[in-house]
Amino acid sequence: MSNLDNINPPAISNELGGLHPINQTKDYLLNLLADFGFKEVYGPEIETEEFNFDMLNIKKSHPARQMHDTFYAEGKKNVLRTHTSPVQIRSMLASKPPIAFTSAGKVYRKDDDATHLPMFHQVEGIYVDHNVTFANLKDLINRILFELFGDNIQVRFRPSYFPFTEPSAEVDILSEKGKWLEILGCGIVNPIVLENCNIDSNQYSGLAFGLGVERIAMLKYGVHDIREFYKSNLDFLQQFK
Amino acid sequence: MKILYQDLINFLSEKPSKEELSEKLFQLGHEHEISGDIFDMELTPNRGDCLSLLGLARDLNIFFGKSDPIDIFDNNINDLEIDFENLSPLDCPQISFLEIEIEEETQSYRTYLDNYFNAIGNKKTNLFTDISNYISYELGQPTHCFDKDTIKKKLIFENKECNRTFKTLLGSEITLKDRNCLFTIDDEVISLAGVMGGESTSCSSETKRVLVECAYFNPESIIGKSVKYNLVSDAAHKFERGVDIASQEMTLRRFIKVVQDHAKIKSLKFKSFTYEQRQNTKLQIDVNKINKILGTSLERNEYLRYLKSLGFNISNQITIPSYRHDIHTNNDLAEEIARVVGYNNIKSAPISLEKFVNNDEVKVSKLESFFVKNGYYEVINFPFTSNKEKESINIDNPLDKNRNNFRISLKDSLIKNLIYNERRQKDSIKLFEISDIYTKDKELKQQKKLGLIISGRQGHNYNNFSKKLDKKYLNDLLNVNENIDNDIFEIIEISRNSIDTKKKDKIFYVETPVNDIPKSFFLKLDHMQKAKNFIDYKPISEYPSSTRDFSFLIDDLYQFDNFIGMLDKVSDEIIKDSFIFDFYKDDRKKVIKLGYRFIFQSNLGTLSDKDINTKINEVLGPILEIKGVSIPGM
Repeated sequence: MSNLDNINPPAISNELGGLHPINQTKDYLLNLLADFGFKEVYGPEIETEEFNFDMLNIKKSHPARQMHDTFYAEGKKNVLRTHTSPVQIRSMLASKPPIAFTSAGKVYRKDDDATHLPMFHQVEGIYVDHNVTFANLKDLINRILFELFGDNIQVRFRPSYFPFTEPSAEVDILSEKGKWLEILGCGIVNPIVLENCNIDSNQYSGLAFGLGVERIAMLKYGVHDIREFYKSNLDFLQQFK
Repeated sequence: MKILYQDLINFLSEKPSKEELSEKLFQLGHEHEISGDIFDMELTPNRGDCLSLLGLARDLNIFFGKSDPIDIFDNNINDLEIDFENLSPLDCPQISFLEIEIEEETQSYRTYLDNYFNAIGNKKTNLFTDISNYISYELGQPTHCFDKDTIKKKLIFENKECNRTFKTLLGSEITLKDRNCLFTIDDEVISLAGVMGGESTSCSSETKRVLVECAYFNPESIIGKSVKYNLVSDAAHKFERGVDIASQEMTLRRFIKVVQDHAKIKSLKFKSFTYEQRQNTKLQIDVNKINKILGTSLERNEYLRYLKSLGFNISNQITIPSYRHDIHTNNDLAEEIARVVGYNNIKSAPISLEKFVNNDEVKVSKLESFFVKNGYYEVINFPFTSNKEKESINIDNPLDKNRNNFRISLKDSLIKNLIYNERRQKDSIKLFEISDIYTKDKELKQQKKLGLIISGRQGHNYNNFSKKLDKKYLNDLLNVNENIDNDIFEIIEISRNSIDTKKKDKIFYVETPVNDIPKSFFLKLDHMQKAKNFIDYKPISEYPSSTRDFSFLIDDLYQFDNFIGMLDKVSDEIIKDSFIFDFYKDDRKKVIKLGYRFIFQSNLGTLSDKDINTKINEVLGPILEIKGVSIPGM
């Protein structure tokens, strides 16, 4: 080895970049749901009130429709979608049951403070078939949460309210510190929504659920400040290779 | 809504502990936090009926029984002759008035009233207003007290368009706009109905004659008003969610009883106006339907017992109580049953679906994979901008004037990201973003675009450290397949003239619609494998970093591997990064020269030269003890 020619130059490690942690988390959830049988469908971020609200049984007087909660565009001709549910509405109108769809992407709410951002990401799922029950919903949600947080995680279902599902539930998991953490919202698709999509609610029923991607990413990675995701700080992004 | 534990217990037959009560409230869907004896309730917007002690007790009846502690005035009351006109019965289908006159002398507050203010932390104002607030807490029905001596002319309720100022009973002055439900006298606004009364007719501690108004306002008529005028109003909160249209007389009779507890009543008069006879909703008894929704096997009797306990009237059909505005269908009833049974007690039942293989986003996935492999980091930016172009989508109600348009390009966002990182001492920046871009022409247009930006060093390894990210680098990178048309990736240099920066490195930028990239480009690209491990994130430092470069001379070539091995092991909390940026074999002198960079940064504060030198000595000491390894000049 005393000969210079025999010295191997130091290895050069490949300087890889990285996907954004929110997109990594979103893709992870979509892959997980694809394994469960859900097909991803796509739709626009700029929507109409009809698809974002009316079709989902969100009444004209619902507080969420007010100017202080929802971004309106082009002289109230459009809204920035407040959830990815309108994608599912469009897909249901174009299909016949049985269906199992996921929709994912950016959504907008008129918030901007330490814990709320005007843009964030959701992954939502819907399954419509004959005889879909609340018991089925519970099983599916449990399976998703066991995959995400481990088989030993304790899961709690609580009654909640969403105009597009009835019954509606919010689901919590018990943290290591013994605190219940809200994870997702879900429910049995309101028959009004099925009828709005030309699906006979006497023949079919459905289940639906929605997860906040930032919420899951914060829990899984241990990020405490949601704003960190959107500073585009390389010191931050480099950790998620 | 804050509830005192002892007050709620008073409405229940059994006396559960705080823990037992809390558990059942959660089971029923009533989120809350407990602080001492206070339950701070956060109720879902469909459960306006639970915004009171009575309402919560009705819901808890199945578990603990509901007692009936409310004492009401049940004697006949004389008719009130009131000059009142309702010009908008659709907004207010039911309204009652009670006139009470009391003797001069009043007594100190009874314990129940005193506790309400002391424990909940609400502010006392005057006897009548305080009773009004307490009754709303007990029964969920807001009332409004006018000083009767200020109501001398015809009182009108109307929904009208107006543009005028109105001084509330809390002293704030608001400017009414558009349509509002109002009480007026002689065209003067004396109350913003369902939200807040006015100063000109409000009660004081001197008031001995009061006109109590108790109404049902349609939620749609009240929604948004308190937010619009920035008024904190418990009444509006309740009316927006819907009060019980059948509860006005009972509420006013309770009002009289509480007044009686505190003063001698000289006279009482009452008048009620009903403009619409509402029929309670009825649903067929169909336990099979409920079992089909929930996946349960509930017996009919059990089902009906649960509904009865919640106040539903059962005959040959189910009659929904007047306070439950949220029940219209069997799905609503199924939720009621699920709440009582407990969501967590309903057994899960699997569904079986075939695994789905998703190939829809292959193009995006291949682009992501390609850029990540070449050292690029993906960013996600908010789409809002102040730049307005002809095709920009305009936001009607932006967060501020700097965010009133949707971006039509990714460029400005990526330039901001680059400058942000340059200011954080980054010397090699490669970023990309893939996002939908929306523009308008005759119609809304949606296009998925790729943007990428580069500046600085090509990399940190000794092959790339001294090379700059430039047009040639980008050309070589993007020309993966020699057959593709180079015009697809138009490389533009971004001038630094308009950017507030001292950096001199050139900035290059590419933006293209993903669908314009020809298939041939993707042929040699891999689909990204997305197996996922979630790392444990470590908070990043906000303190500046410091760099130290060292030039090692290795003249005992036998020790080279040992030297590299020791460098590889260097690690410390304040060494954020370290790498070989130069490697040179000096054939003439038979030695190796190696440049090595340490980047120091602490999460606790700015590092001093002393901190860094101490760490360098600690780290380099053992390395410099290797025979034939030195740092010339050190």
